Order: sequence, then C-alpha cells, then structure tokens
Amino acid sequence: MNGTTIKVLYFAQVAELTSTRVEQWPLAQPVSGTDWLAQLETRYPQLAPVKRLKLAINQYHVSHGTLIQPGDEVAVFEPVTGG
Amino acid sequence: MIIVQQNDFDAAALTAGLRFRTEGKAGSIVTFTGYVRDYAQDASTRTLFLEHYPGMCEREIESLCAEAQARWNVLESIVVHRVGELHLKDQIVFIAIASAHRGDAFSACEYIIDALKTRAPFWKRETLTSGEQFWVQRRDSDTQKTAQWIEPPRTEENEENP
Repeated sequence: MNGTTIKVLYFAQVAELTSTRVEQWPLAQPVSGTDWLAQLETRYPQLAPVKRLKLAINQYHVSHGTLIQPGDEVAVFEPVTGG
Repeated sequence: MIIVQQNDFDAAALTAGLRFRTEGKAGSIVTFTGYVRDYAQDASTRTLFLEHYPGMCEREIESLCAEAQARWNVLESIVVHRVGELHLKDQIVFIAIASAHRGDAFSACEYIIDALKTRAPFWKRETLTSGEQFWVQRRDSDTQKTAQWIEPPRTEENEENP
C-alpha cells in the first residue's frame, strides 16, 4: 500500500484513554513499532507506559521491532482477554 | 465454521449439525462452552462487555483452526464467540471439534481455546453490581497455557493410537 498516512485503530481501554477509535496519522517513511509507540506516547501521555501495548499491522499481530509502512492499518491495544 | 455475533447460540444444535456433517467419519466430537461467571473474588459481576476487532478477529480464529487441523486429525471445527453486553451465566464462547479419534479432538479443542484467549482480539470490560467498571487484565496463567502448546505434542505413538 502507498500513501503518506497510516490508519490507526484504538481498541478497548486504549480507545477510552485516547477518546478516539480511529484516526489518520501522517507517516511518509517507514518507522519501527517501538519508535512509533514513542510518538504515540508523546501525543497521548495517558497511555504510558506504551511498552505494554500490543500492535497489529494490517490485522496481523507484530512485535514492536516490525516496520510500519505508509498506508498500513495499525491497531493498538492491551493484551487480549477473550474466551 | 467461525462466527462472531452478539446473539446467543444453541450449542446443542451446533453439535447436532456437526455430527450430521461428519457422521460415519467422526469417532468423536469434543465441545467446549465458556460462560460468564463472577471474575472478581470479592465482588459480584453484573455484566460483561466484549469488544472485538472485526476482520482480524475472524482471521485470527481461522488461523488457529488451520493450525489445529495441521497438527491433529480434525474433520471439522466450529468456533462461535459472542460480543457486546453479556450477563452473568450467559454463554460466551463455543468450540466443537469432530475427529476420527478422541485424543485429537480433545487436543485440538484445548489448543484452540487456549490460543484464542491470548491471540484473538477480544477485550472484556466487567461491570460489578456496585457499578464499578474495569477492563479485565490478561492472566499470566492464560499466557502460560498457550506457551505449553509451542512444543509439538504429536509423536509417532499418539499418531498410531485410536
């Protein structure tokens, strides 16, 4: 996918803390999950510590070391608790 | 068959359908049903709200079922998971596995529920009878149960046993 933004989805507790469920986020160059989470914490300090948060890129679980590309759908959430 | 829905489900009808579709081949059907209970030790649960990530949720469960099928002899699997507001004693999740052999059916069913708890994107918010609300936190025991499946359990011995 191409573009200069990413689509960011927030779920459950994270959505409550950001008061947002979905937003477009400017991203011109690939960035690691760790670096992007640091940007997220700057924007939403109430999410700290962001190290505990999980990431999914294009609906697949990824580690924080994975690169986020422009055009990606990035989801941020606490560890899942279904079942 | 993978279904994520708000409505309740009929576990008996789902099992009967699975039996009908696999009869003659399935030597066993193992089912698991999860219910809403009191989660907090010192307070009563009034309701549970289940949120999910549509799309990823179904895809992730599909991938768990495919993994189970690759590891064990599975004729067909069913996973139904509810979302939205649930009450104490309500059904939350249903898993059914049809297999030629009971060992494979038990293992596949347990694998899917354990892995679902740590991989499928669902989140539970609990409301107590006092009105207090909080998001349920992942339990270490759930993470450990999923981790135990990392070692391939399939051996020549249990492949040969009925």
